[in-house]
Amino acid sequence: MRLPKFRYIEPKSIEEASAFLLDEPGAKILAGGTDILPNMKHRVELPSVVINIKKIPELNTIRQDNGVIRIGALTPLKKVYESPIIAENLSALSSAASSVGSYHHQTMGTIGGNICQQNRCKYFNQSQWWRSARPTCFKAGGEICHVVNKEEVCYSAYSGDVAPALMVLDAIIILQSKDNSREMPLDMLFSGNGKAPLNLKEGELLTEITIPGKAKDGFSTYLKSANRESIDFPIVGTAFWASIKKKEYRVAFTAVDRKPLRGGSVEDFLKGKDLSEEVLEEASQIASKEASPVKTSVYSPSYKRKMMGLLLRSAIQEAMGREK
Amino acid sequence: MKKGIELKINGDNYEVLISPNNTLLEVLRDKLGLMGTKQGCDLGACGACTVLINGEAYLSCIMLAMDAVGKEIMTIEGIEEDGLLHPLQTAFVEKGGLQCGFCTPGMILTAKTILDEEEHPTEDTIKKKMSGNLCRCTGYKKIVEAVMSVSEQTGEGA
Amino acid sequence: MENELNVVGQRLPMHDAAAKAKGTAQFTDDLTFPGMLHGRILRSPLAHAKILRIDTSKAEKLPGVKGVVTGQDIPDRLYGIVPKARDEYALARDKVRYIGDDVAAVCAIAPEIAEEAIELIKVDYEELPAVFDPFESKKDGAPVIHEGIKNNTSFAIKKEFGDVKKAFAESDAIFEDTFFSQAVNHAPLEPHAAIAQYDPLKGEVTIWSSTQIPFFLRRNLSNTLQIPESRVRVIKPKVGGGFGQKIDMFAKDFCAAWFAMHLGKPVKFIYDREEVFISTRQRHPMYITVKTGMKKDGTILAQKFQSYADGGAYNSTAPTMMALSCFFLMIPYKVPNLFYEGYHVYTNKPVGGAMRGHGIPQARFAVERQLDLMAGRLGLDPAEIRLKNSIHAGEPHSAGFVINTCGFSESVKKAADAIGWKEKRGKLPFGRGVGLAGASFPSGVSNMSHISSGAVVQVGQDGAVNVLSGAADIGQGAETVISQIVAEELGVLLEDIRITAADTGITPLDPGTFGSGVTVRAGNAARLAALEAKEKLFEFVAEKLEANPEDLIAKNREIFVKGSPGTVMTIKDAIKGYQYADLPMPIVGRGSWMAPTDEPTTLFEQDGNFAPNYSFMTQAAEIEVDLVTGQVKLLRMVTAHDCGRPINPMLVEGQLEGSVVGGMGQALYEDVIVEKGQVMNPSFLDYGFPTFLEMPQIETIGVETDDPIGPFGAKEAGEGTQLSPAPAIVNAIYDAIGVDFMELPVTPEKILKAMEEKGK
Ligand SMILES: Cc1cc2nc3c(=O)[nH]c(=O)nc-3n(C[C@H](O)[C@H](O)[C@H](O)COP(=O)(O)OP(=O)(O)OC[C@H]3O[C@@H](n4cnc5c(N)ncnc54)[C@H](O)[C@@H]3O)c2cc1C
Ligand code: SF4
Ligand code: FES
Ligand code: FES
Repeated sequence: MRLPKFRYIEPKSIEEASAFLLDEPGAKILAGGTDILPNMKHRVELPSVVINIKKIPELNTIRQDNGVIRIGALTPLKKVYESPIIAENLSALSSAASSVGSYHHQTMGTIGGNICQQNRCKYFNQSQWWRSARPTCFKAGGEICHVVNKEEVCYSAYSGDVAPALMVLDAIIILQSKDNSREMPLDMLFSGNGKAPLNLKEGELLTEITIPGKAKDGFSTYLKSANRESIDFPIVGTAFWASIKKKEYRVAFTAVDRKPLRGGSVEDFLKGKDLSEEVLEEASQIASKEASPVKTSVYSPSYKRKMMGLLLRSAIQEAMGREK
Repeated sequence: MKKGIELKINGDNYEVLISPNNTLLEVLRDKLGLMGTKQGCDLGACGACTVLINGEAYLSCIMLAMDAVGKEIMTIEGIEEDGLLHPLQTAFVEKGGLQCGFCTPGMILTAKTILDEEEHPTEDTIKKKMSGNLCRCTGYKKIVEAVMSVSEQTGEGA
Repeated sequence: MENELNVVGQRLPMHDAAAKAKGTAQFTDDLTFPGMLHGRILRSPLAHAKILRIDTSKAEKLPGVKGVVTGQDIPDRLYGIVPKARDEYALARDKVRYIGDDVAAVCAIAPEIAEEAIELIKVDYEELPAVFDPFESKKDGAPVIHEGIKNNTSFAIKKEFGDVKKAFAESDAIFEDTFFSQAVNHAPLEPHAAIAQYDPLKGEVTIWSSTQIPFFLRRNLSNTLQIPESRVRVIKPKVGGGFGQKIDMFAKDFCAAWFAMHLGKPVKFIYDREEVFISTRQRHPMYITVKTGMKKDGTILAQKFQSYADGGAYNSTAPTMMALSCFFLMIPYKVPNLFYEGYHVYTNKPVGGAMRGHGIPQARFAVERQLDLMAGRLGLDPAEIRLKNSIHAGEPHSAGFVINTCGFSESVKKAADAIGWKEKRGKLPFGRGVGLAGASFPSGVSNMSHISSGAVVQVGQDGAVNVLSGAADIGQGAETVISQIVAEELGVLLEDIRITAADTGITPLDPGTFGSGVTVRAGNAARLAALEAKEKLFEFVAEKLEANPEDLIAKNREIFVKGSPGTVMTIKDAIKGYQYADLPMPIVGRGSWMAPTDEPTTLFEQDGNFAPNYSFMTQAAEIEVDLVTGQVKLLRMVTAHDCGRPINPMLVEGQLEGSVVGGMGQALYEDVIVEKGQVMNPSFLDYGFPTFLEMPQIETIGVETDDPIGPFGAKEAGEGTQLSPAPAIVNAIYDAIGVDFMELPVTPEKILKAMEEKGK
């Protein structure tokens, strides 16, 4: 399967990259390429220009700065989970990063690319010929959706492993364009629109992810359910952060909605409570109602809902009896 | 639009005319005749096309050839030392770590990165790091044994 | 020492292992030829439609395109691996029957141009109603998939052995259960490929193809392209796994040859992974109902077996597959009275074909599951019930199989012991369990037309031995095993053998790699050839050593006299002497071998001894169910296998280990999911066959028998072990959580659901 044709550019700085993005609305960023290139082979992404940002030197770093952990967007996932600061203090992030695809994807794939990856759908991540057996769906440029029979809405599922982990760690992202830079909580990056999942302004790149020092004061974990222990995207992924002392908890899910989802109701329920068997059962019940997944994958929505609860249950169990 | 690039493969520099949309796998196989790198799925999900880029395992079917410029590329053709089989190659042969051999070049290269990173990896580490290399013939057991046996040889003055 | 084997029975690496490890072993896609063109197939996006018109003009005009071909251009000849079931055209002629059916092909100077050109072909279809379920498909009034095939049932088999009615009447317990086995893809790592070249002076087409059946491919190419068989040469390069999927021919073979003939240039076709999933073959989904009558003590008196195979759009191996699933119900257990009815039903879906076990895994899943169910109902031990019903060497088989050697009951005992059956069955904590299941498989096929192999052995001036064999090594090591057999017979070492295999222009006839017949059939042919060569040499040496030729033994590159190892001559010297004695060189031996049978067996029409010999095996599994997520982990699988005397224990183990992991995939992970005729997971990402991380602990136990027919006592080891891992695992799941699963695969979703229902 050949890649479509495109113009190829290697900017040396963020400004240069941003200028290209502004110039050419059909341009796309290439980081590790492990998400975008298969999509291009499938002809569901057809950038006129491919901007390879990997030659921008400063984006492949992990630093600690006044307790804040700063991760450059081009940092490979492997470097993320092998970093002692992260492995020792932010286990949600290290387990999420080490659960992505296989070792190859963790070596090639970047944290920025993982966060910014395309949404997925069983009718979308297919070859052009495969998709020609049905009318073109909305996300691929047509008018209908094969999953939910509503016009002009796409329900494709955000399926990245890392975003939910970062969300429970209260990560802030830095977006940069030619002459602008802004910060926002990671949650705000995701639009909830399956067709255009990211709230990026024209010319903007994700350059850095920062994790506040406070995140280290809690216990955190990321649990993933998938068909196989390697290669596969999550059927459901659940991230959990807990400060046992302060009785504060954060929960996030992936692969259940158009964006990675914070578990608002379950967080409200847990807030101020000590973790116990009863709390855990109820939290699990609530969690399974946090999202209404649809049939974007071969796994049934009811199974996904069930797994949301069950994974959270296991995560809470892990947290019980921890010091932090 | 074609573009002339230089790729450093197995220590040699190759000048080659490519299109930006060529993957590294296409260039290795179709343009340079380095047929040891295999295409099993062409979508980054089987590891048959594994090559080493600056010593790390990459999937050449989802990597642009342009992206490999300026990097050290190693394919299975470059793993032999002084014309002798690499110990991993010998181990795969002797332990029965291959059957049809289609997954083998990728397996051996991934295994090399594992042993380069860590002299004595645990069986679990080997399995985890090799899990992106699919094999439909062997059931994996003898591959793990082959890699373990090389790891056991090193550091024993062997 | 004289009777000791030197080469056979040794754990030797494959003769081409180093080439594979170096990456220099050449698979079809690794071959290139000057001026080579690249082909690609246009596939149907519709499940069922008439082809009204194909407009190729735009594609033809694309610069770089050298040819476009449609079904109408190719002679009106059906092809098929089973002659009586031919129902497929090289490219669809007037109708497409599934999403993925071959419609047209292009060839161009570069693959990317061929890819582009395909999209420029315009096909006008008239869509027809499609049917995706075999039970709908066999109803009156269902859409007709192939003209003239009533109820879309292309093959039906009904057989009765013994007196079933009477036996049921005599039974203490009768139960009926229904099972389902899903579609499984073989997923060989090497996608299917072909390259063809034409010599206009000789009028000869040469094709390099990733195939398991060079000689069948030759015949079908000859028939379809209307050229004599002698003008078709099929060469099999290294093949990157087959598992049965390459026991067929495909559009790529016909189109490569057609283009080569018409354009005079070499043409290469390689399938994308997606095409391998959708447009080649898969294991038939099968719906099975088994009714079994037993005595109180667990003795099987009668079985009634009904199966519906969802065949997809074409027949492929349908009749053979159905027949195998029938006849192998009576082995490894004695079933004195059997009524079997099986139907192969067309649907507008991907095509079923031979896959490791070929119709038997589905049947075994049903039977081995039901044995456990029956044991539970009668309060018997599942291992005991298997031992009770085990067939033994010399015992009669209802359809006439001749069982010369049989290690089945020993395999049950050994597997049960190794897994810790007595201590564990029913005694492990909730969530953990053990289960076992048995099976038997033929080592090839007796006496059906063309099921015979030839070999030529030539001993050269320097003592090096050249073997010509038609056997198709697809990665299992057939060439190595044959070389070992020749080396042993001639008394040389493996490294003295050079084998050329599977080139229909050079090597003798061989049916190919299927039915696990290669070692026994091609191995025996090679052994006969080696023997003939050896006899010639021995006649000369006997004179020199003043002994009887019958008293000579060749071993370890030497020939010596039985009983006096001092009277010896090296093989090298023997050959030198032979030459100087002006005896005709080279020394050539020829062998042809077919399984001995008294009467012809064709399976479909005639019962009898189906195979030269039969392997027997038991798998025992220990599993753990994650009670939270429902995920089943196969912790350990013991496989005790009677493959006679293994020619190469290391290669046998490799076959068994691969089969165990494949069978585990079938049990727990793999499923070709089809929605309205469209495969939803045609990729290695979405079709999840096991990785390193799913691999269980595997223990292989040899159960040796010395078979009188197999070469050096050998029997098959290629497929048998893939028959029963799935039922063993599912039986273990019952032991772990008390739920009986009747359908494959057993996914975490199903486990959770079942546990919830049980909790209610
Ligand atoms: C077989 C297979 C299995 C996989 N399994 C998983 C899995 O289990 N879990 C998982 O999460 N992912 C999985 N992936 C997807 C992918 O490998 C990872 O998500 C990876 O981390 C993506 O990173 P990348 O750098 O390769 O992204 P790229 O492909 O380079 O980029 C992905 C997207 O993000 C955009 N982008 C990249 N960097 C930036 C930036 N700095 N600013 C703005 N936009 C940017 C790109 O334009 C593109 O749209 C799998 C992929 C394959 C092929
Ligand atoms: S959810 Fe609907 S619109 Fe979105 S990718 Fe899937 S089919 Fe297309
Ligand atoms: S061919 Fe590249 S991963 Fe399969
Ligand atoms: S040896 Fe055949 S795929 Fe691994």
